[in-house]
Amino acid sequence: MTSLVSAEGVSKRYGSFTAVSNVSFEIESGKILGLIGPNGAGKTTLLKALLGLTDCEGSLSVMGLDPFKQRKELMRNICFIADVAVLPRWIKVTQLLDYVAAVHPNFSRRRADELLKQTKIQSSSKVKELSKGMVTQLHLSIIMSIDAKLLVLDEPTLGLDIIFRKEFYANLLNDYFDEERTILVTTHQVEEIENLLTDVMFIDDGRILLDSPMESLADTYVELAASGDKAEKARGLGPIAENQMFGKSVMLFEGLSREHFAGLGEMRTPSVADLFVAKVKRARQ
Amino acid sequence: MITHHLALLKREVWEHRSIWMTPIAIASIVTLGTLTALMFAGDYAHELDMALFGAQNIANDTGRRAVLSGLFFGSSGLFFLALGILTIFYSLDALYAERKDKSILFWRSLPVTDSETVISKLLTAVLVIPTAMIIGIIATHLVNLLVTSIWVSLKGGDASLLIWSSVPIIDNWLSAVVIVYSGAIWMSPFVGWFLFVSAYTKRSPFMMGFLPLVLVPMFEGIFLHSNEFASVVWGRMGKIPISRLDIESMIENDNFEMSEEMISVLSHLDIGYFLASPSMWAGVIVCGLLCFGAIYVRRYRDES
Repeated sequence: MTSLVSAEGVSKRYGSFTAVSNVSFEIESGKILGLIGPNGAGKTTLLKALLGLTDCEGSLSVMGLDPFKQRKELMRNICFIADVAVLPRWIKVTQLLDYVAAVHPNFSRRRADELLKQTKIQSSSKVKELSKGMVTQLHLSIIMSIDAKLLVLDEPTLGLDIIFRKEFYANLLNDYFDEERTILVTTHQVEEIENLLTDVMFIDDGRILLDSPMESLADTYVELAASGDKAEKARGLGPIAENQMFGKSVMLFEGLSREHFAGLGEMRTPSVADLFVAKVKRARQ
Repeated sequence: MITHHLALLKREVWEHRSIWMTPIAIASIVTLGTLTALMFAGDYAHELDMALFGAQNIANDTGRRAVLSGLFFGSSGLFFLALGILTIFYSLDALYAERKDKSILFWRSLPVTDSETVISKLLTAVLVIPTAMIIGIIATHLVNLLVTSIWVSLKGGDASLLIWSSVPIIDNWLSAVVIVYSGAIWMSPFVGWFLFVSAYTKRSPFMMGFLPLVLVPMFEGIFLHSNEFASVVWGRMGKIPISRLDIESMIENDNFEMSEEMISVLSHLDIGYFLASPSMWAGVIVCGLLCFGAIYVRRYRDES
């Protein structure tokens, strides 16, 4: 495994406001990393730094390139869809494909045509004539026709209905993802992508709260549902979060193996969403 | 590599359809005007017969050429005017529209540098739009020559003598080419300024583009009692240093007579004189600096 992205002490300040504060992490190739954080946590700023759209302090390298200084080289091997990076409304589908084909050395026009044939998008239509779902489909078709090493998706399915969202991720996994490629995705609908992720990173207030492979979450975190004396006993083990549900105390533990909880109640691996809420609340205390 | 850069220019023409629609519109208006004039001319059949007879038999070559040349060059004037207006609106919109419709991040997600983008917009303003106008001028002339010569022939006149050999058409076209491109280079500091404003401003690029051009001379007049800015900036309009012809003294001179060599517009244009003009080069440098500013703003400004 080689590091595709390597960040060391990366910070980004806007005046007196610190959007990203001294973060360090590595992203290896062949991963699907979910970057999860509340609004204003610094996700988008971090992604922008990765994409060379904004400069930052510290050392940041993406595929061995300095993203801000070598944006053009970088963009040959990175694709991104962001809810803010909308397709121009005036352009025709065929013009869009012609343009990308001319400027992007790794774009396959044939593949884009094939992908678009599977949709209802007419190549003579203008983007403004398409529905929001179709525009995302079009954007995804373009992105999937680019042979890129890193794909960055920032809230790619925002405003789309559930059927479309499911289809979006299914297409992405079936037709695009392989060991050569890496996907970095942010979304509010964590539950929908939880099963796709190989790695997860939590960010809040410009800091990284968690950076872990999905498979090791089960070793590190346990969710226990207990009641009465057993709950009291479990509380003594120092849960990082506790909720009441159906008359039981649901507690979340970090760094304790499952033997500690034998006989105390039902154990399971917490969902990413629950874990996220627990980590954020704890960090803010 | 060339396809890459051509694609950037094509994209401008796709987005700004007025680049090709304006010359077509003007050509249609001029042609319609000619047709209308010819249609209504039927009411003056007698006078026209006389005029045609006179033009064929009495007027000398020079006279005919001067009148027709003037007419045709006049129709080019409409295109020059449209070129100016179109270039202003295009340049003010070029780097503003992509931010307004939020497509800038999509454009920047492709392997195209900010410099390439800004330069493609500059080239559209000083090369593509002028070229579209030149094609419009030539097409308009050809259509109108054809229409008038059919009309003259129907009236029993000699079209090849009265029209085709009387219009120094190549001279007219070459002059249009020289004037259009030299004009584009001469006015390029304005293009640079408008591009910079369109990259920089958060709202109403038109106002932000023109307000300083009005306010600065006003304040200069009030506080410094001088008008340097106005004379340099506004004085630049329409004064391309390409002809040494002194039109004012020509008009004032009552005894002025049109000679054969004066009809050639091209012979009055001096490209060497234009290229040696320090003010032209100063303008090019200002344009370059302002474009550099536009690149800087597009690259460094955070769009969030």
